[in-house]
Amino acid sequence: MIGGILVKLAFVACILSILSYAQSYRTGRSVFLTLGRALYHTTVAAIVTIAALQLYLILTHQFQFTYVWSYSSRDLSLPLLISTFYAGQEGSFLLWTLFTGIIGIALLRYTQRHGAESTVMAAFGSITLMLLLMLIVKSPFTYVWETWPGEVAAGFVPAEGRGLNPLLQNYWMVIHPQVLFSGFAAMGVPYAFAVSALIRREYESWIRPAAPWLVFGVLVLGLGIMLGGYWAYETLGWGGYWGWDPVENSSLVPWIVGVATIHTMLTQRKSGAFIRTNLALSILCFLAVLYSTFLTRSGVLGDTSVHSFVDPGMWVYWLLVGTIAVFGGGAVVLLAKRWKDVPVAPTKHSSSSREFALFLGAAALIATAVLITIGTSAPLITEILYGAKSAVDISYYARTILPLGIAIGVLAGLGQLLWWNRTSAAEMLTSLRAPVLLAVAVTALLIPFGLSDPLLALFVWGAVFALVSNAIVGYRVFTGNPRFMGGAVAHVGVAVMFLGFVASSEFDTTETVSLREGEPVEALGYLMTYTGYQQQEGERYAFNISVERDGRSRTVAPVMYFSAYNNGLIRNPDIINLIGRDLYVAALALEEGGKAGQEDLERSSFQQGEKRTMQGLEVMFLGFEIPVVQPVSDGGGERRRIGVRLLVQVPGKEPVLLTPYSRAHRGEVTDEPALYDDAVTFSIAGVTLPDTEQETPRVEIVARKHTSGAAGEKDILVVEASVKPLINLVWSGVIMLLVGLGTTIVRRSRERPASRGGVE
Amino acid sequence: MKPKVIAASVIVVVFVVFGAYSFFDSNLEYTNIEGAMKKGKKVQLVGTWNKEKDATFDSRTSTFTFYLIDDAGRECKVVLAGAAPNNFELAASVVAKGRFTGEGTFEASELLTKCPSKYEAEAADVGKAG
Repeated sequence: MIGGILVKLAFVACILSILSYAQSYRTGRSVFLTLGRALYHTTVAAIVTIAALQLYLILTHQFQFTYVWSYSSRDLSLPLLISTFYAGQEGSFLLWTLFTGIIGIALLRYTQRHGAESTVMAAFGSITLMLLLMLIVKSPFTYVWETWPGEVAAGFVPAEGRGLNPLLQNYWMVIHPQVLFSGFAAMGVPYAFAVSALIRREYESWIRPAAPWLVFGVLVLGLGIMLGGYWAYETLGWGGYWGWDPVENSSLVPWIVGVATIHTMLTQRKSGAFIRTNLALSILCFLAVLYSTFLTRSGVLGDTSVHSFVDPGMWVYWLLVGTIAVFGGGAVVLLAKRWKDVPVAPTKHSSSSREFALFLGAAALIATAVLITIGTSAPLITEILYGAKSAVDISYYARTILPLGIAIGVLAGLGQLLWWNRTSAAEMLTSLRAPVLLAVAVTALLIPFGLSDPLLALFVWGAVFALVSNAIVGYRVFTGNPRFMGGAVAHVGVAVMFLGFVASSEFDTTETVSLREGEPVEALGYLMTYTGYQQQEGERYAFNISVERDGRSRTVAPVMYFSAYNNGLIRNPDIINLIGRDLYVAALALEEGGKAGQEDLERSSFQQGEKRTMQGLEVMFLGFEIPVVQPVSDGGGERRRIGVRLLVQVPGKEPVLLTPYSRAHRGEVTDEPALYDDAVTFSIAGVTLPDTEQETPRVEIVARKHTSGAAGEKDILVVEASVKPLINLVWSGVIMLLVGLGTTIVRRSRERPASRGGVE
Repeated sequence: MKPKVIAASVIVVVFVVFGAYSFFDSNLEYTNIEGAMKKGKKVQLVGTWNKEKDATFDSRTSTFTFYLIDDAGRECKVVLAGAAPNNFELAASVVAKGRFTGEGTFEASELLTKCPSKYEAEAADVGKAG
């Protein structure tokens, strides 16, 4: 109740704040400015209260709220319980709103000092308003009886929640989403500045105050992407750090657009060029965030992704479409109206200038973003073209982006070596000589080691060129003014990261290995022995494998378990991280000794009274066994137990009555098989309720035969083992890139504004 | 300025053509056995597991073999590189990513199972409150 009211209060305060700010810009009267500020503060205060309330409901297990019931349960640890705040769609929108609000307050103070407050805050307020509208449509404060009216009695409080998806139950969940949504929220700031510049017709002065925010957004979003990649690699067992999944791509695209914008903004500050480009790209940064949100939240991708995208309903779909139309359409119309008005700086630079290299670099980055967006939107595009959704094979990304990656590498080096405006041919030759030759030498050295693909070799060449150029430039800057190191460090990071991509994904070796318990198997240069499993918390199992190489032995313990929540198997790999390579081991399956090799399995479907022959035994389904006393609830949801009475007979022997059971508890179904003569186990595979009243229910029974002599056989663990060389280059490269960006923000924020622009 | 504009246009056109070609070439169509055989390239084959026939894992070659029936009722042998997903037995339908080899065997690199999803909650899950 209170939650919903607060959301609406925040919404109204936000509208009034935008109107006041607009009025203050139009009339120039300071009373409206004061009012706008007060109202924006009110909005954010309400948002913070909403978030606090949501956290309180989660911490106190208020399961009468659908959101709390859907994502949390009493058995979660405190950090995980807190993380359920953003485990679902409504909550993650609330988190995004919260960060947008907080950044909004910081932006308000900032623009108060640097100018353009009224228009920047009106634009940023609209973003806040859009998110609040989303919270009204998809409220996290819906009661269970409102979600299922007529089916659930009003006032009912479920005893236990459905719990958090086991896939999300680790520490990455505790930090990754916050970082990512802070980045999303920050990407709204350059948009607000650009729109404000267009409204005011002040096309040049906005770059200086907007740039640090953009770099901040790119830094935070980059950190979020890296954490997500590491999560996917280390815990989720997707086989690598990047799978080109829509969810991953949707955070990458705004990031790439942001990186491109950093470069064009830098050019504008140095030489006054690219004014229109910067306006357009700053708008695009935020539109990319919106489009990504639309792709991953609206359900349009259907089941073409490994992620499960719950269809959020028509309202959210149209709201997302409308949001893009309003923010995109509005900004584009504004940009088009002002296009002719925006001054164009006369081109002073030649094609051998830093400006031109930066322009090409930004163009290559934007092209990359476009290609990724097209690939991610494949289900939408194919649905329009063919009427059926289908995704692109992930090889699409590597092959289309590789040529652009070569260009980006070369330009990342070239841009640093060239001077602003123009560089003479002689100067260019001198500065290019060392990096070009060194890159050629390194690439040539690597060719005998399997770098045979020409495009890949060019990519490596480009990356080494960028690395050497930036190392040289970085050293020079370091001896001069180390505070300006940011650019060089970031570019070295990019080059190192590129080399890491090639090494770890093109030169990795993967093998599926079957390990019989206690028998060493040689694979990928390691001697692997499966030594048995141990049960961890709950129903999770860790499989111990001793790995030996050069007389040194270590143990990896990948985890594998069945999750009733996901109705599937969950595998957490284990990784041995060495300086030069990672050994990555994921358990695929456990073939139990008793049923190793050919498993003898038969299934039959019965109606009451029917007789079948299974595994040479005559089996008759007598009826259901339903315990008279059903334990209704133990605080942990309902338990149901059902048995199937089977009469099993072999000619010449006494018939035996067997009752396998099936137990359902919190949506988790457990089998209690019944054993016949130590040879055949019977279990319930399913119960089908009849369509009409005339029929009786059908049961499906599985009979497993234990092959004789197999009892002594050892289990076989099937694992996927993979050696990923130099993967540490990827992580260290990303970290250098982020440190470089951080250095740039520190330097920029120390700069005094050119003029005190407090005129409103 | 003129030669620059021409050069830029050429680059853009090449880029667009290359992008479009890659897109349609990498598009993994959902199809049945007949469609997959006609295509000859990598597709997503949709069907159900034939429970009458053996589904076995060969630990020597690390491949999992089963028989798939498509919506047209045709059947084919599917060899998956790797182990079966463990919810395979429960799966209502399966999607195999791969291509047909000469002998009419579908070689899959990935097998996805579609199970009745537990993500979408229903009123009954909340508990009998009626």
